Amino acid sequence: MIEARNLAKNYGDKRAVDNISFKVQPGIVTGFLGPNGAGKSTTMRMIMGLDKPTSGTVYVNGKPYAQHKSPLTQVGALLEARAIHPGRTARQHLRVLAATHSFPISRVDEVIDLTGLTSVADKRVGGFSLGMGQRLGIASALLGNPSTLIFDEPVNGLDPEGVLWVRNLARYLAGQGRTVFLSSHLMSEMALTADHLIVIGKGKILADMPVQELVESASKRYVRVATPGVAALSAAVQAAGGVVVVPAPSADDATARHAANVGVIEVSGLEAPDIGELALTSGVVLHELTPISSTLEEAYMELTADSVEYHTIDVNTREHTTTEPSYTAAGAPKAPAEADMPVAHLSNEGGQR
Amino acid sequence: MSAITPEALQHELPEQYVSRFADHRIGFGKMLRSEWLKMWTLRSTWWMVGATIVLMAGLSLLFAAVMNLVLNDPDIMAQMAENAATGEGIDMTQFAVGIIIVVLGYQFAQLTVAVFAVMTITNEYSSGMIRATFSATPRRLRTLWAKLIMVTLTTAVISVIGLALAWLVSYPLLDRNNMLVDFSDSTQIRSLIGAVLVLVMTAWFALGIGTVLRHTAGGIATVLGLFMVVPSILGIIVMFAPDLAWLSTIYKFLPSEAGQQIVIPSIGMGMGGGATVPSLEPWHGFAVLSAYAVIALAAGALVIKKRDA
Repeated sequence: MIEARNLAKNYGDKRAVDNISFKVQPGIVTGFLGPNGAGKSTTMRMIMGLDKPTSGTVYVNGKPYAQHKSPLTQVGALLEARAIHPGRTARQHLRVLAATHSFPISRVDEVIDLTGLTSVADKRVGGFSLGMGQRLGIASALLGNPSTLIFDEPVNGLDPEGVLWVRNLARYLAGQGRTVFLSSHLMSEMALTADHLIVIGKGKILADMPVQELVESASKRYVRVATPGVAALSAAVQAAGGVVVVPAPSADDATARHAANVGVIEVSGLEAPDIGELALTSGVVLHELTPISSTLEEAYMELTADSVEYHTIDVNTREHTTTEPSYTAAGAPKAPAEADMPVAHLSNEGGQR
Repeated sequence: MSAITPEALQHELPEQYVSRFADHRIGFGKMLRSEWLKMWTLRSTWWMVGATIVLMAGLSLLFAAVMNLVLNDPDIMAQMAENAATGEGIDMTQFAVGIIIVVLGYQFAQLTVAVFAVMTITNEYSSGMIRATFSATPRRLRTLWAKLIMVTLTTAVISVIGLALAWLVSYPLLDRNNMLVDFSDSTQIRSLIGAVLVLVMTAWFALGIGTVLRHTAGGIATVLGLFMVVPSILGIIVMFAPDLAWLSTIYKFLPSEAGQQIVIPSIGMGMGGGATVPSLEPWHGFAVLSAYAVIALAAGALVIKKRDA
C-alpha cells in the first residue's frame, strides 16, 4: 500500500510533480502511466525516500519508507536499470544488499534463479546487456520478498520473451496480495498488465481509474456532425434517443466555420446513417458526418496531449501533430527555453480538457 | 459453525502480504558487513591497497639504497662535512635518518589512500549504486559512518603493514650504516604512529570531500590539489619571499604541511633552509590536519543528508 498526499517536487523553478495524491492498493497491479518527463520517476524516487518532496508526504505501508526497520522486506524497487556497480558480479551485488538485512545466502541464489540469471551470476555486471541489467534490478527488488514492489519502466530493453515474463511476474506478485506499482510510457503495455491505472502528465494526475473503466471510456464511439442547423438537428437526435455533446471549439473550427455559422456536435447512441435520415427529415443541411471511434492508445494520447513535454513536429505539414486549442495557449506563460529549441517544442501549461 | 478465530477473521480481510523475512531488521553491524563486502568486491580497492603497501616499502628501500651509496662515497661525505662546518647544509648526523627513510613513503601513500577513500563513496554515485544502498539502508548518515569505519580500519591496517615492510626491506642497508630505527626513542615512535594517524586523517578528509562532491575525478583533484599541488607552489613562494609572514602562516596551516610535523618535523626535510619556514608543533600540526578532516566529514554528512540521491 502506497499513499501519497499532496506530493510535490520542484527542481529549481521547474515543477516536476505538482501536488498529487493517490493510493496504490495491494492485490492488484497498478500502472503508473505518463509521457516521458511527466514525473513518474521522480514520484517513485520520492516513495523510496531518495528525493525529498518539496511538500506533501508519501507513506509506504503506513509510514515514510525511511522509518521502516526492515526496508527491503517492505518495498523492493527497480528504479533505474543501472543502480548497480559495473565492477561487481551479479551475485556479489545481491550479497552486498542481502548483508544489510542479513538475509540468508540461499535467498540470493533464489532470486538469481527466479530472474533467470543463473548462468551469468558470477560475471561482472559491466558486461551485461540492458535486459540482463534489468533482470538483476528485478532480482534486487525481489531480494527481501517485499510486500510492495515498485518497478520503473521494467520492460525497457527486454526482448519479447522478457516483456512477457515481467508481465506475468507482476500479475503473479499482485496475486499473492502484494502491492505492485509499475510505471510505463506505453499504454498498450499497461493495458495488458495493469488492473488499475494512474495517468500522470506534467506532474499532475490526469486519471486514476480501473483499466476496464478507461477502456470503456476509450471505446466510446460517436459521430461528428457539422451543420448550420445545430438546434433543429440536436432536437431531432435527442428525440430519437441520441446524446448530443457540444465539443470545445478547436482552432480550425473557430476560424473556418465561424463565419458560415456552422456548429459542430458529437452524437453518440445513433449511427451515422440514422443521423443522415434525421437531417433529411428535419430539413437540415449537413456539412460533415464522420463516425469516430478511438482506441485505447488514442484515449491515452488524448488524455496526455496537453501534458506531453516535447511535442513532435510533423515533417510533412510542419505543424504540431497534437493540435492545441488556441485559446489555452494564449493566456499561459511561455517557457523561456521554448525559443531555443528548434525541433522539440516545449509546450506551455495548457489547461486539461 | 465454529467460532470465528482471530486467524479466520484475518483471512477474511484483504490481507496485507507480509514478507517471510520481515523480522530481518537492518542494523549498524550488518551495514558494516555490507560495506566490507562492497569494498573488497571491487578491484580498485585491491589496486589501491597493493599500491599503498608497495609504495611505502619500495620507497623505503630506494631511499635506503641511495643513502647507502652516499654514505659510502668518500667524496660526497667530505663535501657534506665541509658544508656542515660552514653551516650551509644539514648535518646528517643530527637527525635520525633511519626513521625518516622508513616513514618517508607515507607522503606517497597519502596519494593512493586519498584516491581509495574518495572512491569509496564516489563510485556509488557514478554507478548509481547509491540508490540501491539508500533503498536498503535509508538512514543515510549511518551509511557514511559505516564507510568511515571501514576506510579507517583499512587505512590503518595497510599503513601498519606498509611501515612494517618498509622497516623490513630497508633493515639490511640501515643496519650496515648503523642507522636502524631506535624503538626506545619516543620521537621515532611518534613518527611511526604519526605516519599511520596522518594517513587515516588523509582518508577521512578524502571521504568527506568525496561525499560532498559525489564525483571521482573532482574529489581526487580537490584532495590531491590541496595536499600536493598547493603546498609545492606555496612552498616555493614562501622560500623566495620569506618576509611575507601571512603567506608562511597559510603554508604552515596547510593540511599536508601541518600533518607532516608529527611524522617528520620540517627541519629534517630538504625544502632549502628548513629553519626559515616556521612550522607547527608536531601534535598541533596533527590537530590542524584532523580539523580539516572533521570539517570535510561534517560537510559530507550535511550534503548526504540534505541532497537528493
